Amino acid sequence: MNDAEIIEKGKALLGDKLLEASNPAVRRIFLKVDSKDLLKAVEVLKNDLGFAYLATISGLDIGENFEIIYHFGKPSSQLNLRTQVPKSNPHVDSICAVVPGAILYERELQDMFGLVVDHIPDSRRLVLPDDWPAGNYPLRKDWKFERPLEKIPGGKS
Amino acid sequence: MLEKVVRWSRKKSPWILHLNSGACNACDIEIVAALTPRFDVERLGVLLKATPRHADVIISTGPVTRQIKDRIIRIYEQTPNPKFVIAVGACAMSGCVYRGAYNIMGGLDQVIPVNIYVPGCPARPDAILDGVVKLLGTL
Repeated sequence: MNDAEIIEKGKALLGDKLLEASNPAVRRIFLKVDSKDLLKAVEVLKNDLGFAYLATISGLDIGENFEIIYHFGKPSSQLNLRTQVPKSNPHVDSICAVVPGAILYERELQDMFGLVVDHIPDSRRLVLPDDWPAGNYPLRKDWKFERPLEKIPGGKS
Repeated sequence: MLEKVVRWSRKKSPWILHLNSGACNACDIEIVAALTPRFDVERLGVLLKATPRHADVIISTGPVTRQIKDRIIRIYEQTPNPKFVIAVGACAMSGCVYRGAYNIMGGLDQVIPVNIYVPGCPARPDAILDGVVKLLGTL
């Protein structure tokens, strides 16, 4: 299946759930869906289009919204599934029901962006330290880190 | 007289503990290289110990992450007196490129007192050895 065929098949299977489809370079496909259709879209990608391998999930802070990109791959092409959730109500569905390995990336999303992943099997903290204060999300653009004052042993000379 | 004997024995057998507080492993490999027969540190009485309770000298590498801060303090407290700390590598000295990151406390001296700093990224085995010898010279 080449890129155009994958996009055609995706359009046929997802119908009006597919908001955007683009193919900016050879073997790079971008699809965009609404966050409530995410699970259905991932199911279609895995079962019908053969994208069984989830490389990673990346999160972006783009002002009003968070954009979440699911990077899927198979030997013949790379597919990036994009979805957006509003910052005021950052809820996204877990895709662990379809891709069980996604749990690590989803836990990291929760840590770093403060997104709430609904129906996640295990929502413990993953990457941040144990004594990290709640409500601080390092990858949000409006988060500022205040560096503690450094001790200089023996004083400044 | 007794003091003299104690100081002599301390100088002749500094048992070390190798501690990684968040390093990239480059300095650790150099420390392990310094323990090989090529550099023959046992002529100075240096022995690698697996537990802080048997060690006199803590050789630490890497910037101190927020997660390991409390553990490092605990390891330092477990080491019997007199204890000495050698910070190996640029990261353990100041935090280096990780300095100012949200999960990094900075260099090792932000958490526990440090006796000797060994610069380098990573520090050469000879430099690490030199650091140990300089520490022994201060005793």
